[in-house]
Amino acid sequence: MRWLPEIHFERRLKPPRWLGPATPPIAVIVALAIGALVLWASGRDPVDIYQRMVRAAFTNPGAFSNTLVSATPILLTGLAAAITFRMKVWNIGADGQLMIGGVLAAAAGTFFAGQSLPVVMALMLLAGIVGGALWAAIAAVLRAYLNTNEVLTTLMLNYIAPLILFYLVFSSTSYWRDLSSQHAKVFPLAKTLAEEHFWPEYGTTVVVPFGFILGAVLAVVLLFLVRSTRFGFQMRVSADSPAAGRYAGIRTGRLLVVVMLLSGAVAGIAGASQIGDFSHRLEPRNLQFAVYGYTGIAVAALVRYHPVGVVISAVLVGALSNAGFNLQGLDLPLGLIGVNQGIILLLVAASEVSTRYRLVIGRRGRDETRAPPDGESGSTAVVDGIGNERPSRGADS
Amino acid sequence: MTAAGTRTQDQDLHTVSARGITKAFPGVVANDGVDFDADRGEVHALLGENGSGKTTLCKILTGLYRPDAGQVLVGGNPVSFRSPADAYEAGIFMVHQHFSLVSSMTVAENVVLGWHREKRRVFNRRQVEEEVARAAERFDMHVDPRAVVSRLSVGERQRVEILKAFYRGARTLILDEPTSVLTPQEAEQLFVSLRRMASEGESVVFISHKLDEVSALCDRVTVLRQGHVSGSADLRTTSVDARGLARMMVGRDIAFSRRSRSEPVGESEPALELREVSAVDADGTPALREVTLSVRPGEILGVAGVAGNGQVALGEVIAGLRDRTGGDITLRGEPLAPGNPRAASDRGLAYVPEDRIGTGLSPGLTVADNCVLKSYRQRQLGRGPFLVKARILARTQRLLEAFNVKGTADSLVRQLSGGNAQKVLLAREISSEPQVLVVATPTRGLDVSAMESIRSLLLEAAARGAAILMISEDLAEILDLADRIAVISRGRIQGVLDADGADAEQVGILMMGGSLEDAGAVAP
Amino acid sequence: MNESLLVDLLTAGLLYGTPLVLAGLGELLAERGGVMNLGVEAMMLMGAVSAFWFVQSFEGPARLAIFLAILVAALVGMAMATLYAFVVITLRANQVVSGLALLILGGAAGLSSYLAAVGELAGPAGRHRLPTYDVLGLSDAPIVGPVIFGQNVLVYASWILVALAAFYLYRTQTGLHLQAVGEDPRSADAMGINVSRYRYGHTIIGGAFAGVAGSYYTLAIQPTWIDGITAGAGWIAIALVITAFWRPGLLLAGAYLFGIVTSLGFTLQARGVDLAPEIFRSLPYVLTILAVVIVSRGGGRGRFKAPAALGEPYSREEA
Repeated sequence: MRWLPEIHFERRLKPPRWLGPATPPIAVIVALAIGALVLWASGRDPVDIYQRMVRAAFTNPGAFSNTLVSATPILLTGLAAAITFRMKVWNIGADGQLMIGGVLAAAAGTFFAGQSLPVVMALMLLAGIVGGALWAAIAAVLRAYLNTNEVLTTLMLNYIAPLILFYLVFSSTSYWRDLSSQHAKVFPLAKTLAEEHFWPEYGTTVVVPFGFILGAVLAVVLLFLVRSTRFGFQMRVSADSPAAGRYAGIRTGRLLVVVMLLSGAVAGIAGASQIGDFSHRLEPRNLQFAVYGYTGIAVAALVRYHPVGVVISAVLVGALSNAGFNLQGLDLPLGLIGVNQGIILLLVAASEVSTRYRLVIGRRGRDETRAPPDGESGSTAVVDGIGNERPSRGADS
Repeated sequence: MTAAGTRTQDQDLHTVSARGITKAFPGVVANDGVDFDADRGEVHALLGENGSGKTTLCKILTGLYRPDAGQVLVGGNPVSFRSPADAYEAGIFMVHQHFSLVSSMTVAENVVLGWHREKRRVFNRRQVEEEVARAAERFDMHVDPRAVVSRLSVGERQRVEILKAFYRGARTLILDEPTSVLTPQEAEQLFVSLRRMASEGESVVFISHKLDEVSALCDRVTVLRQGHVSGSADLRTTSVDARGLARMMVGRDIAFSRRSRSEPVGESEPALELREVSAVDADGTPALREVTLSVRPGEILGVAGVAGNGQVALGEVIAGLRDRTGGDITLRGEPLAPGNPRAASDRGLAYVPEDRIGTGLSPGLTVADNCVLKSYRQRQLGRGPFLVKARILARTQRLLEAFNVKGTADSLVRQLSGGNAQKVLLAREISSEPQVLVVATPTRGLDVSAMESIRSLLLEAAARGAAILMISEDLAEILDLADRIAVISRGRIQGVLDADGADAEQVGILMMGGSLEDAGAVAP
Repeated sequence: MNESLLVDLLTAGLLYGTPLVLAGLGELLAERGGVMNLGVEAMMLMGAVSAFWFVQSFEGPARLAIFLAILVAALVGMAMATLYAFVVITLRANQVVSGLALLILGGAAGLSSYLAAVGELAGPAGRHRLPTYDVLGLSDAPIVGPVIFGQNVLVYASWILVALAAFYLYRTQTGLHLQAVGEDPRSADAMGINVSRYRYGHTIIGGAFAGVAGSYYTLAIQPTWIDGITAGAGWIAIALVITAFWRPGLLLAGAYLFGIVTSLGFTLQARGVDLAPEIFRSLPYVLTILAVVIVSRGGGRGRFKAPAALGEPYSREEA
């Protein structure tokens, strides 16, 4: 491409230490700058809008509490994405898993109406975990045992899950549908959780939902799981090199299923939290349009799938969503938030290259970038090129 | 096709020359003021150890690298190649060890890839096939232009690469260690073709580190050592003995650890036994056909064969990484369940795969993590479900010291040199004190000193009583180290020879699929 | 006779299948070169919104408006694809993550929705829609009339493009090179084929196809704007490429099958079949999963497999 600047890469063996922590803030700043450009290009005042966004997300009374409300589901879906993406298993089905988790949690919450709050919460969480894991299991089993592309299956399941919700609430007289209340006679509604079973909140000036605390605890647990356990060791090996994993005796298929189920379970908790913490009943349309799953991917990628980092980035992205939601209207179309998130994700994905290469723009010859010939490179290639081929001189020649 | 007769007399004698080529990579000067000429009608050897700069020089001559200093000349005129395509234009073509063939395409398709002669856009399959057949005839290198490359043997693929070069009008053909993938007989055949090319006025540059081949085939030799030209000779006029060349190449007399075969191998029960083991490749074609082998404690059984004849499958089946379609494997008298690498390693089987970095080692993890790649489940490395880092580090430190690996526990495996990575891998596998050690191409691509230390590690392990199955395409290595030699061809064991009586000729006949009777050998 | 269920299904199949053909063909070309672009849905939505905006605001003859709107959609798709190509080819970013990024950036809750809000597109019906033709005066012929001779220009264009793509892939030197780039970029590079130029070129052309496919929604299927109007068709197009084994002819057949299934709900409902709409609406997604499962089980052999380097960034530096 002559019209592009010539970009070369110098391989580096170790990225500089500052690079990891520096990437997320740079990505966010650049994304906001591009967002400002989009605003400016469509005839709006970016400075004014950003000021109002900061107020709406942080400084207005109750704003930060609302930010935490927005952060809660994407914290959990972010963790769900972090678990699998780390392993290069692309579970992009957190949306569907969240919804099915929500379906079961809603059922549990209304069915055990006579129980105490802790019992109902535990049952709802369990139901959410089971629902999310079950929905993830479809794609997990297909991938592990039939080698079916999990990107497509989890995605298709994302389109099917809301249809199930619609069916349960709008097109049938299922257990979930409220058939008695006055409201429900005008417009179909799902059953509502008893008020004493709403999940607790903590704090006064800043109100922290239970789901957020749960997510933060989960993040720490997951960090330990990956860093310090044998299971985490298996995850790290398989993520780095599946062939080495098999060689080391790791049953990679089973590991993949377990990791997907874990991810689905965490997304299912997000569904339970939606019901218990916020909506208190199944809201099919809200869940369909929220796209918590995709946002979770951006949240997780921003911190390179570091579980504890997900907590911070979820608050940040939650602030963005909260502000966008508050200012929503002709002044600030909601789509801008998606634009910002998309750019953040794109920048983070693009910055991955800088951990292994140093960018050199249009200065040196292309071959400078090669690794020194330590007598190894040429011959290892032969292994892949020839060693793995079928036996030569086929039987019939 | 460029016929020799079309050239004019005033062209320079040199088809391609290098003057004062210098090329440095971070930390290494790969070429330092190298002069080199390839002349018309000659086969010119470029001799040197791994890492001496031969490949770098050739990559400069073919436009893959650009020199830091110095000049490349073609027909006496300075040129500056920006890419391999520029080098093709100038008639210079290199056959790499790793072939540039798209294996899912046919021979004819591969030959025209990247080549727009007459700027034609529509691909006329029949015409190309005819042209390829004609070129094949010219150099006596039969290959079917309609065959899909993945179904060809390595030797045939090499022919396709050479045909591709002449289809593009090559005048200078550079071959990077072409015989390393061939049987001795195939190599003979290649030499005939190469001499034919030289006699037609083309020039051939033959990269090698094998002295006997150089003296058998080449007209001139240039020796590289550590990036310098350390000597050259015209073999048509002077007689240089192999020892002299070796000294130029290595800079000292070297002696590889050679197995003294005087010590008798115990008559004990075999530690590893394969009975009629069969296996298939991913696409369902047979990879192993009823392989029967046994290795006793303290013995090294070498498995010789041309690459791609089932060696990978053999290692994987024994290690439990690939299911078998038939047959039994017993480890110390007990049957080994198929497809269970963990069970195999728990029962004292260690495996050094051909793909070291990527299978044997996990390149993006630290040396410490790789040192416990198989043993992370051991109780003494952790507490409950948790791994204790200090204990892993302690074990790693012990291994690094005991096996003299340069590198720290927290460096990533991909940061290690090839030799050190292989040492880490062998250290881990040997330190588990295996009863049976399966090693595939243990020294390929390593420099001489690393090669020596790997070899002595293997011999020590055998001396301690491990049964070693060594799969290698390097026949010389097998002849040096093994007690017995099993030859594999098309997934079948053609025969097992006692290393004492075996010579390269016999093994070569078996490698080509001949029988023991053909080879005239007496079975041990 | 032309009011029969068969004709209804076939015409509807063509209506809903055509964007799948176009978007799928674009993705097929990119994937043949080794680039998997999961952002098809976003490129389609961007094409849809820009074409719609154009017809709503352009003052001029209807045919010109339609033609230019399609052109604009193609250019917008190309712009999105260029961005993607830069990130995954030059910067070698992970193709799954980058594809999702493109999806979020342009998707139903991203730039396409933003532009629709800024342009105040939601609500009013489109001022122009793709005209259908009466080819050779045969559009009233039984069955084949409405199906084959009474379609709009993009349907005919898609047929020509499928034929051209097949010729290109199998009968031209450039097509051969493209396949080599997708199968074995290292060898292709060694043979002097400019891998990144081929990848850029086909990814960007794929974007143009996706953009045009998107415009088909707002110009033909449903000339109005709602956010996320393509409803996952981009994903189905990606799945179709896999189930068609990366072959243009099979892609065409598969796209019409999916088109028929997609339209089944509307067609049957119009005929008074009473069943929960969710069941019909889930059919294309369920069918996609089934198709991908069947292909991943039975496929992967011989020449019916994915381009070997699909999704892998190529760099000379990596040994």
